[in-house]
Amino acid sequence: MKKYAMVIDSSMCIDCKACMASCKVQNNVPRGYWRNWIKHTIPDFSQGSQTRTHFQPGGCMQCDNPTCVQACPSGATYKDTQNGIVRVNEALCIGCGNCITACPYDARFRHPDRRVPDKCDFCFSSGRLERGLLPACVDTCPTKARVFGDLNDPDSDASRLLREKPSVRVLARGGIDTKPNMYYVAATAPTDWVGEVEFPGAFTTMATLVNPVVKVAVGLSALGVAVMWAKQIFSPDREESEHESSAPGKD
Amino acid sequence: MKTQAKTLSRRGFLQASAAVAATAAGVPALKGHLATAHAAGAAPQAPVTSHYTVCDMCFNRCGMIARVQNGRVVKLDPNPKFLKSRGMLCARGNAAVDHLYDPNRLKTPLLRKGARGEGKWQQLTWEQALDHAAEQFTRIAEKYTRCGVMFSPGSDMQSQFLIRFAEVFGSYNVTSHETLCLLSKNRAYLDTFGETPYADVLYSKYIIISGANPLEAIITPDTIDLMEARKNGCKIVVLDPRYTKTAALADEWYAIRPGTDMAFFLALTNVITEERLYDPAFAEKMLFGLDEYAAHVRQYTPEWAAGECGIPAEDIRRIAREIAAAAPAAMIYPGRRSSDYEDSTQIRRSMAIANALLSNWDRPGGILASREVGVRAPYFDVPWYDDNPDDRIDHGMAPGLIHHEGSFKLMRDAIIKEEPYPIRGWFTFKTNFMQTAANRNKTLEMLKHLDFVVNADIVMSDTAWYSDLVLPSPSFLERNDPVSALQGSSACACAVWRDAVVPAMHECRDMLWICTELSKRLGFPESFDFTLDEYRKLQLESIPEAFEAIKADGVYYNPSKVYGIYFDSPLKTQAKKIELFNQRYAHEGLDPMPVYKAPRRKEGAFRLVVGRTAFFTHSNTNNALLIQFKDENTLWMHPRSAARQGLVDGEMVEVASAAGTVTLALRLFEGMEEETVYMATGFGALSPELPLVHNRGASIAEVLEDHADFISGNMAMHETLVTVTRRVG
Repeated sequence: MKKYAMVIDSSMCIDCKACMASCKVQNNVPRGYWRNWIKHTIPDFSQGSQTRTHFQPGGCMQCDNPTCVQACPSGATYKDTQNGIVRVNEALCIGCGNCITACPYDARFRHPDRRVPDKCDFCFSSGRLERGLLPACVDTCPTKARVFGDLNDPDSDASRLLREKPSVRVLARGGIDTKPNMYYVAATAPTDWVGEVEFPGAFTTMATLVNPVVKVAVGLSALGVAVMWAKQIFSPDREESEHESSAPGKD
Repeated sequence: MKTQAKTLSRRGFLQASAAVAATAAGVPALKGHLATAHAAGAAPQAPVTSHYTVCDMCFNRCGMIARVQNGRVVKLDPNPKFLKSRGMLCARGNAAVDHLYDPNRLKTPLLRKGARGEGKWQQLTWEQALDHAAEQFTRIAEKYTRCGVMFSPGSDMQSQFLIRFAEVFGSYNVTSHETLCLLSKNRAYLDTFGETPYADVLYSKYIIISGANPLEAIITPDTIDLMEARKNGCKIVVLDPRYTKTAALADEWYAIRPGTDMAFFLALTNVITEERLYDPAFAEKMLFGLDEYAAHVRQYTPEWAAGECGIPAEDIRRIAREIAAAAPAAMIYPGRRSSDYEDSTQIRRSMAIANALLSNWDRPGGILASREVGVRAPYFDVPWYDDNPDDRIDHGMAPGLIHHEGSFKLMRDAIIKEEPYPIRGWFTFKTNFMQTAANRNKTLEMLKHLDFVVNADIVMSDTAWYSDLVLPSPSFLERNDPVSALQGSSACACAVWRDAVVPAMHECRDMLWICTELSKRLGFPESFDFTLDEYRKLQLESIPEAFEAIKADGVYYNPSKVYGIYFDSPLKTQAKKIELFNQRYAHEGLDPMPVYKAPRRKEGAFRLVVGRTAFFTHSNTNNALLIQFKDENTLWMHPRSAARQGLVDGEMVEVASAAGTVTLALRLFEGMEEETVYMATGFGALSPELPLVHNRGASIAEVLEDHADFISGNMAMHETLVTVTRRVG
């Protein structure tokens, strides 16, 4: 059993976008959407010659307490117990979009053609891990700011870096600790982009019920399915427009 | 309804229902079923094969591995054994998939039918295209001599074939991309050290970066090494009127007034010489003209420099003492694109001299001489043509012209004047002067003096759009290329080649094939009577072991000496030492030591500087993946300057110079020196066959005035003063 994680030395990030480009090619991410990102702090120019900017690469945090999994009514989004990756079984997805809003890291988006959630899976589904390759973003990173590995293996690069350097996590607002498996060496700034977990109204009572039996049963009840389908078909792509506006465009 | 039914089936409704049914059977059954359901869906996939190649999205030539599935390149990954690129691949390299499968690739040879730039083309067969080109070259050669054709090879591994072709054909008028790039820096170091050096960034302890932006203009291995050196405690000081990403990650950033870098370095060396912070033993052995130089810079005090460049005197003094203390593992980063000012060679010489005073030459953490790689340039006969003029068209127009590069700016002027002799033909290969050279209107004017312009490239660049004959080239992933020797500072001296990863698409033909076919038609077939394999063997004659190494790892490393190359031998300068005082300059009436001249200023005008991002190279912006990072360029300006002009963020402004006027959106940014405005390169393309950048943003080529460095003839792209006003109407 593995527990894959990413440890990021964000002080090494130069915001070159190589990770974002590599991910898009490897995972066929559609135009205008991103499975990973680089955020940055706003420079304070009153600091004069000391003005700095900190760049922060990110992506799905592969949480140990994944609120997206809790919010999923069909069991399509699940934590793979073999490797710790939060994955999506598209065959089971009813396209309700609850997992998208439940993610406080805005790491998920609705795929515009397939109408299912899409997000980083450490390049698992692209077959890279199986072929012994690192996730595309890690492999390509010029400064190796992104480090990947199995935390159950004490000799992995990720384990070693976590042992050697103090690390921090980006936590959701509002008191739910999702226990993210994306660790930052030294600093997580900026953090102003992190949101709260938003469970859909009908699910607030279910949020504490982690028993998959109950969740699947409730989620796929006739009424639930009908409502979710209606939502999937008629709801505007709110998250799409958000992605468009936050995507890099004019400089 | 139809859509719904489709959606239903796509969601795998039956599988979902089955899961519900399973709930009745209890938890273990459900868990088992879910596990199966999650595991399913991995359809058998065609095998992925891996191929070594070398990137061509810029000039760095990083090692890459192409992953091919079903005959298509599906992914490009870094070659971990490639030390020069440190096992990385930048955004541009990753986007080469979209470069290869660009729907706007040139597919067949095209002959212009309407007026230039009108976009009326006739498809030709290669036979017709080559016959036509040969006929035109022959006609021009007979009427205007062979120097009547200008050749412009871009930075490509096959450019050496076009250069060979030009020389055998008989034209001295070869000018490359470098004439817009780093010639003044090369000139400055040649005239100081006798060499164009490499920076040993990785082992440096203190680096001043001025006139360079290595974290965005990615240079391997310098960019990566800069971050590694920084992690190891190297201090980085950046002087730039713009807050670049390099500035953002530096220890100190000074928004220096544009064009005043020399003032800073004269003052820096003033402190080093006045306080005798240099190594006397090194100075005794290696420096020529130290006393003259010390006397020369006595006038250039930090207090004086502060008034020119805007950096406080105490900071200049402190930085000088700090870097001298860190020497010799310290450097003024030499930079690359030095096509900035009319005085660029002397500006870069002031930096080179500062390096000399840090005694960092040929030592760890300093600046290094070229290493031995062992790749040979195969010999060929250059014929003599009696009717040719004595020299290149731009000969004598700049005292420090680098002979095999020339000056595009000066050549263009000469072509327009038709003096000293006419040029009527132009062969360009994978370079796009129409979009990258300053003053596009002048390039258009030059075209009026040319009867025949042929362009070989992979897409319809602006230069291709204004050509008479367009030849479709294969991308770097579709061809076999000769061996290329690369230097990676102390990382490596290596040799690489490319083998085609996928077959050439459409009717694309590489430059070797084009030169071979043209040489047959022009009567010198013996100059191209080799195959690529034979050519590679000749190149590697002295290092036969390189063959197996490149096949096995995609790269061959020469274990040649890294440091102390010149330990026992004199430098290739007139004094055989590092020339702080340049004797040849003195002889030719040039300033033998850098003399500061304040940059021009004009009331109400801004100095326009240009630069790039980490994800585009020059005008290669029409890329479906990369354009998602930045789909339009904007004019950057300090909010206080904008307020004085009554301009607000985001509005459309007209930027006007003596060369032209462009319109683009204004972006207010505090990270700008207040007299400076900035535009990124690569937008506002004329060619509609570059749909992602056609008429989007503005072209630097349209607004930049064409100045040239007085000594090297290198284009000077930071000499343009512009007014910025609200767009009317």
